[in-house]
Amino acid sequence: MTTAPAEVERPEADDLVVPDTPWSTIVWNDPVNLMSYVTYVFQTYFGYARSKAERLMLDVHEKGKATVSSGTREAMERDVEAMHGYGLWATMQKVGDRG
Amino acid sequence: MGHDAEGGGPRLSTAFRRTRGGGVSAAFHQVEIELLRSLVGQLLELVRGQPRPRDPQVSDDPLAMAFGLGDDPSRPTDPVVLRLFPDGYRDDDEAADEFRRFTERSLRELKADSAATVLASLEAVGVTDSATEDMSKREKIRLRLKPAAAQAWLRTLTDLRLALGTRLGVEEGDEEHWDSLADGDPRRHIHDVYEWLGWVQETLVRALSAGLR
Repeated sequence: MTTAPAEVERPEADDLVVPDTPWSTIVWNDPVNLMSYVTYVFQTYFGYARSKAERLMLDVHEKGKATVSSGTREAMERDVEAMHGYGLWATMQKVGDRG
Repeated sequence: MGHDAEGGGPRLSTAFRRTRGGGVSAAFHQVEIELLRSLVGQLLELVRGQPRPRDPQVSDDPLAMAFGLGDDPSRPTDPVVLRLFPDGYRDDDEAADEFRRFTERSLRELKADSAATVLASLEAVGVTDSATEDMSKREKIRLRLKPAAAQAWLRTLTDLRLALGTRLGVEEGDEEHWDSLADGDPRRHIHDVYEWLGWVQETLVRALSAGLR
């Protein structure tokens, strides 16, 4: 996958050495999914310990969203697709972008 | 019992429990088996994207109506379809369209495979269409699921609840609203089914979570 040559007006060296902008997977709150199920998905898909999975679930529930993983764009596409497969509402974005 | 089962209709099924070998089992009444078969059959049509004829003769089934089948799979304008296959990006329509192009087919296959697995496990307990004529039988049917089938049940119960919940417009903390509806209101009946599915799923998640760290 190629990216359009946009925003090249500042060809600073620092920008060029960054090989791949990190992306993140965001899970959004929804009124349907069970808290226990969301925790279970975080445990089984990401392999997170129950405590971490529960904390992320509570962030989704109470703050409306949580960043559940980060990595390359391709990896995040896999995670978002997997979340959709589980029925969770997930999107991906560049790290640092507002959600 | 289930945390979200308050206000739900009469429940005959038992909670899922772990069995030896990593599977789970629960007992269901024939009426519940039939209900699940009907719902999962409709879900299967929906995720396969097969348009359903708008036959006015079936419009008296509020559950069938609730699914609102027949949306064009490539353009999910139906909020239920959009919830089952949501955008992968916010604020970037082009990237969202591309993500959908690359993922929707496999997601539809995954959801269809799960629903088909659930249907197969419901049929394996020996309930056929003719059983609807024999609802006077009060006996329960024990359903045993192997680990892979239990995962399919988790996904399909989720998809069913997403479909019904989206169609109903369920919101957090709105239980009183549904309880206030008249007994004859079809939305109340659908919400009862929605809550029952939530209770079944809750017991399934608990049974499966017991083996995790």
